[in-house]
Amino acid sequence: MFRYNFIYELKLLLRSRWIQLLSILLLLLFGFSTINGKSKVVKREVDISVAKQEVEETDKAMLKLLDSVEQGLEVSVPSWTIPSSPMAVGNYHPRVAAMDPQPMAFISTGQADLFTHYIKPTVSGDDFALNFTEMTSPVQLLFGSFDLAFVIVYLLPLLIIAFTYNVLSSEKEQGSLRLLASQPISLRKWVFQKLMLRFFWLSLLVTLSLVVVILVAGVQPLQWSGILILLGLALCYMLFWFALAFLVNIFVDSSAKNAVSLIMLWVVFVLLMPSVLNQVGNTLYPIPSRTLMINEMREHKAEATKRQDEILDNFLRDHPEYAINDSTQSRNFYHRYMASQKVVKEELKPIVDAYETQLQKQQSWAQKLQWISPTIVVQESLSQLAGTSTADYGNYRKQVMAFAGQWRAYLTTFLYNNTPFSQKDYLSLPQFNYQAAKSNSVFTSMLVLLLIAILLIGFGFAVQGKTQQKGILSN
Amino acid sequence: MILKTFFKESKELLRDGRVRAAFAIVIILLGIAVWISARQYQNTNEQYLVAEAAEREVWDNQGEKNPHSASHYGTYAFKPKYPLSLMDQGVDKYMGASIFLESHKRNEAQFSAAADQTGLARFGDLTPDFILLFIIPLLIILLGYNSFTKEREMGTLTLLKSQGVRPWKWAVGKWLSLFFPIFMVTAILFLIAGILLSNLQDFGVFKWGSLLAMFIVYVGYYIIFINIILFISAKVEKSGIALVLSLSVWILACLAAPKAASNLAETKHPFPTRQEFAANISKDKQEGLNGHNPWSKESKLLEQKVLAEHGVDSIHQLPFNFDGYRMQKGEEHEAEIYFKHYNYLKEQYAQQSDVYKGLAVISPYLPTRFLSMAIAQTDYGTHWDFSDAAEEYRIATQKFLNDDFAQNSTYGDWSYQADSDFWKKLPQFEYEPPQLGSIIRSNASSIWILGVWIVLSFSIFLLTTKTI
Repeated sequence: MFRYNFIYELKLLLRSRWIQLLSILLLLLFGFSTINGKSKVVKREVDISVAKQEVEETDKAMLKLLDSVEQGLEVSVPSWTIPSSPMAVGNYHPRVAAMDPQPMAFISTGQADLFTHYIKPTVSGDDFALNFTEMTSPVQLLFGSFDLAFVIVYLLPLLIIAFTYNVLSSEKEQGSLRLLASQPISLRKWVFQKLMLRFFWLSLLVTLSLVVVILVAGVQPLQWSGILILLGLALCYMLFWFALAFLVNIFVDSSAKNAVSLIMLWVVFVLLMPSVLNQVGNTLYPIPSRTLMINEMREHKAEATKRQDEILDNFLRDHPEYAINDSTQSRNFYHRYMASQKVVKEELKPIVDAYETQLQKQQSWAQKLQWISPTIVVQESLSQLAGTSTADYGNYRKQVMAFAGQWRAYLTTFLYNNTPFSQKDYLSLPQFNYQAAKSNSVFTSMLVLLLIAILLIGFGFAVQGKTQQKGILSN
Repeated sequence: MILKTFFKESKELLRDGRVRAAFAIVIILLGIAVWISARQYQNTNEQYLVAEAAEREVWDNQGEKNPHSASHYGTYAFKPKYPLSLMDQGVDKYMGASIFLESHKRNEAQFSAAADQTGLARFGDLTPDFILLFIIPLLIILLGYNSFTKEREMGTLTLLKSQGVRPWKWAVGKWLSLFFPIFMVTAILFLIAGILLSNLQDFGVFKWGSLLAMFIVYVGYYIIFINIILFISAKVEKSGIALVLSLSVWILACLAAPKAASNLAETKHPFPTRQEFAANISKDKQEGLNGHNPWSKESKLLEQKVLAEHGVDSIHQLPFNFDGYRMQKGEEHEAEIYFKHYNYLKEQYAQQSDVYKGLAVISPYLPTRFLSMAIAQTDYGTHWDFSDAAEEYRIATQKFLNDDFAQNSTYGDWSYQADSDFWKKLPQFEYEPPQLGSIIRSNASSIWILGVWIVLSFSIFLLTTKTI
């Protein structure tokens, strides 16, 4: 029976042009979204490399200056920018702390449109002032991006719905159900076989078109494991939707009702659940107010400023160049400046830390909520695979903060030792290297999806609906 | 005949359990959405009032201080929420609500809510605009997809034709029966929102006129959807296919087109990265007058000019503190640089808007979204308006501080301190958002696009019903 089913199904799909239509649609959707994703990644890479190149060029100029200074020559730049001063290096020659795209970055925009991908921390100024958000038009953030994740999470289920909603009901409507009922196979098993065959064909089409699109777009080495995981996720998610279609096919009766039910499910899983969960999360665990945090910081800053003034003439605090250029000022301005900055930093740290902890709690709660909805699980996993999830940007931020500290510490050592920065020190300047976090939750996600799908199918076999009780042929 | 069809169809809809369930779900969701938004709105505004008062107090009680030090200490401008943000949150989530105002620098609004939230937030919130823009069109599809196809499928079409019914009357009856419930749901929602908002005290000025304008926009949007859905239903043979087709239109208009538009807009007219933007500004700044660099060429030129104007030969003889004067001139120059660079951003966005308008040809969602946000004062335009007002206030504040410095101290006297009462003389920052009239004028093109959609879709629908 299975063999008959297989051959009949293939013929049917080919003759009704479903396979042809789906291939074209999938190629178009995957193609367009991959182009979008790739162009974003390329822009990101170009931005970073331009920034790095600029640093390289100013470094060359800096080394030349250093050379002149070391040879005792006169230089024609403002005195506070001469790189023999370690603070001049720290402020005017910052390094690029860049978050290079991961090999699979093109599959999901995730939070990539919201956050910046490179930052140049300097020695003066405080870390809280580092702005990690990117300059993007908010309309773009609101609408989101047409990326591969969107196609997989939102559109693929709709294709599945269109492909499966009338497997059983069309037999009834065409009058071939009686014929089918006379076959030596239970109807549920028959529907299951038929859906699994469709799942097989759709999987094949999805795999082929994805591979074709990715090959055309160009694959980096080491990317194949990522592509395999991507396919695995997509297939597990598809299986979930086929399982839902299986239930609807055996429990609901007419084609139109099937379609409506499946679409309702789609609306619930893809549109409503995420937004409801998001709202629940925000209501139960509100995001701490930034406005109130600013208030608190301002009050503390006022106090810190007073203490700062004891260390430093308040005017000079804001204008180091004055202290350095003005011969009447003592030369060790930066010693005191760095000390006073530390005062502010220590004063504000508890507030920032308190805020961050509260935020962390809120976010980890949101993270737990995702397991309720397969849609969110897939979206999150795809973003993780692409290295564009919230966690990745949090990780990057942490690394940049650490690097900023390292940069400051390295150069203040020169400052406090009163040793000038020289050409030979150039090579030992701290460099930033982004370390991507490894996460295994992608495999957990696949397992969870598989489990849900199996449970749903099991439910379909175990429970008798109204139609089964009455008998499928009765009207 | 129109009325008869209308009553028959309405009765049929009422008797359908799924329709009743769908309506109940939508109404419950709307209720929750309005309730949550109202709470958030109240919360945010309370925080806003607290923050604004506290910030002013910090500013007023600075004690004796050099005015320029105070300018670096700076102050904050907070953006309030407006009453109609209850209906449409627009891009508020993606924009910061506080701008730090200091000397030498125009800062952007900081701390957007989206940056503090997880990826979950990017799916969207359960707010009235989400339901108005996405879910109600789906409800229209659910109610109307089989409006004509069922007559074919049940065989009543032949019957109807034998009655000599004028097709357009019949079609208008069906149209009305679909329009009426949708209109009622929307009207009730807006009425409740209006009552809720007019009862909230102290928060912004709520105007029924704006709410009505928004209501009209949404009704227009639904008319377009009703026309499209009924057109599909009239043209297609089977209910299932009509449903799938209608849904494809919905996905294309509400999900795919906006996303594709955003990708296109970005590739064609990209914003600079934050670092590039900052680098461009500092490059321009280096070339011009810097209030803090008395050794630069520009400073020397300014010095000579001022000396010549006053007919003296040393800056010590000037009737004011030249340091303060130069600081103010530098500030003005820097403000111009910022003006230029922020204008570039605005231009880029204007061009992006054209891309969105272009794609409105395939998506009535786009003009509706933009109009709704604009009327709710939660769009990018309003944010620009606020940020420009804050910048104006910043420039005025700097002038206030620098002038005091220049008038009341002598050249080289950096230890000058203003009285502790001085800070209170700085006027408060007050911001008036654009009014409905100017909003409508600046979004006229979206209104036109929506109008063309309504007229075109309606006439195509009516013309096709002739040939059913």
